[in-house]
Amino acid sequence: MALLDRSEWYDIARETNWTPSFVAESELFPDEMSDPYDVPVEAWETFDEPYKISYRQYVNIQREKDAAAYSVKAALSRQRFYESADVGYLNLIKMHYAAIALSEYAACHSDARMTRFGRAPGMRNMATFGMLDEMRHGQIQLWFPHELVGNDRQFDWAHEAHHSKNWAILAARHSLDDVMMSRDANTTAMMLNFAFEVGLTNIQMIGLANDAANMGDYTFQNLITSIQSDEARHAQIGVPVIEIMIENGKKAEAQYAVDVAFWRIWRIFAIAVGVPMDYYIPLEKRERSFKEYMHEFVITQYERQLRDVGLDRPWYWDLFLDDIENHHHCQQGGIWSWRETVWWHPVGAVSPPEREWLEEKYPGWNETYGYYWDVIIDQLVKDREEMTHQNCMPICCNVCQFPISNRPGPVWKARVHQTDHEGRRYNFCTPVCKWVFESDVERYAGNETIVDRMYNGTIQPQTLDAVLKYMGIGVISEGGRDGHDYRWADPYRPVADAAE
Amino acid sequence: MAMLPILSRFQYDAHILAVEVDTDFTMDQVAAACAEHCINHHVKDQPGKRLRVRRTTEDDSAEPLPPEMTVAEAGLQMYDCLDIYFEG
Repeated sequence: MALLDRSEWYDIARETNWTPSFVAESELFPDEMSDPYDVPVEAWETFDEPYKISYRQYVNIQREKDAAAYSVKAALSRQRFYESADVGYLNLIKMHYAAIALSEYAACHSDARMTRFGRAPGMRNMATFGMLDEMRHGQIQLWFPHELVGNDRQFDWAHEAHHSKNWAILAARHSLDDVMMSRDANTTAMMLNFAFEVGLTNIQMIGLANDAANMGDYTFQNLITSIQSDEARHAQIGVPVIEIMIENGKKAEAQYAVDVAFWRIWRIFAIAVGVPMDYYIPLEKRERSFKEYMHEFVITQYERQLRDVGLDRPWYWDLFLDDIENHHHCQQGGIWSWRETVWWHPVGAVSPPEREWLEEKYPGWNETYGYYWDVIIDQLVKDREEMTHQNCMPICCNVCQFPISNRPGPVWKARVHQTDHEGRRYNFCTPVCKWVFESDVERYAGNETIVDRMYNGTIQPQTLDAVLKYMGIGVISEGGRDGHDYRWADPYRPVADAAE
Repeated sequence: MAMLPILSRFQYDAHILAVEVDTDFTMDQVAAACAEHCINHHVKDQPGKRLRVRRTTEDDSAEPLPPEMTVAEAGLQMYDCLDIYFEG
């Protein structure tokens, strides 16, 4: 039987809006689920998919993608790559699977919300495929690490992390719940598809696949490439939504949604990508620094995307540029110092040649972060390893949930930003996280960071051991230790010995 | 007497720490409690210099609190942020 060309039937088939007669329009599409911006439905009906595909085409393409990714995995699993891979690189994929696998599954719900409550038929079409994409991403990123659990229990966090109360996952979940899980269909499209996917992760996956290839991990490279090709398609849901918002006088609302989401996801992104790029990938395998990558791939293209859709740069742009050179260095120090609290084995990665590289890429690194590591190194070379552990907690931000930190050493930039609300004090890492909180207090008030939970009686007794257990450490798997057993500090020993 | 978590902004450290202090602690004892978590952990010791305590302000201009003043006398509340810094 001859089939019509897609272009001959697509527009007719997608026009699925109708006038309901059994329920009111407002009951079928409640504002809080569909469109709190009061944009006329006729405007939403102008939504034209930037990328059109039929269900038949979609299934055929996806089947081929899955077959390719799974066949590479099957072929390479005999090579025992993961048994001999550098622990720094293993950290990267342990962080990735735990943070991402169930986030993808959660994103399936976000797309399902757009599929059901989107006012634009074209948006509902794209979101249907997006929903199926995310389900595939969740499944494949659970299946791939599953075979590694037998060798290394920390890979079980791929499945367990999002069900735990580990501080790093509280950070991920708080942001993702905000951006993906608790907004109406249109705001979700602007926050998730535009700010999150177009702005950060679509490009991130290209860099991540490249890193995997450099390390010889072709299984992970194929997996990420397969996922990225889906992201590149469904990420485009957000652009027409923003354009329609602006055309209908809602630029400020669109700008706000995009700016909140971009910052929120950026704070996680810098840890998931910046720490591995500048510290976990072995020095000889690094192609560029995180800062170079951000400027070359993310900043240039995101600025252009904002301009193209009619939005401005976020008000916090200068703070964001500064954060690119600061946040992940601080958190690398923090994660290593509190290494028992995470599900991977952080590497120090500050041997003399690595510091030379860091100083070249981040001029001033030695006077700031280097000062911090000098203290740690001094203890290691004096065989006082116990001094490199912490027995109290850093205060965490009530928005991004990360330890409140800034440049150490003589410049001493660490500073908490605070606000009081209904008799309670909230702590923030930056003026931006404080702005996010104060811009929608009702949404964010009541948050309890892992440290708040120590002092409000949720975690008992108030000891580090109790906190670790609460966070799943020693329950799901062992916690972290120095991934290289401090070998990175060995080159400092002869100098210290000679000095004595 | 009661334990109270204050925020320790210790000179040269990268992180702000939550440190429990007793409301009867003097500022010298507060400084010592905070130093235990920072000096030789993330901050180099400076022998011969005294640690002082002041309330954290935007421009770092607050006067140091008297060494013998207690946490209760200073009116410190949960999550008040204090600078702990070297003097001399």
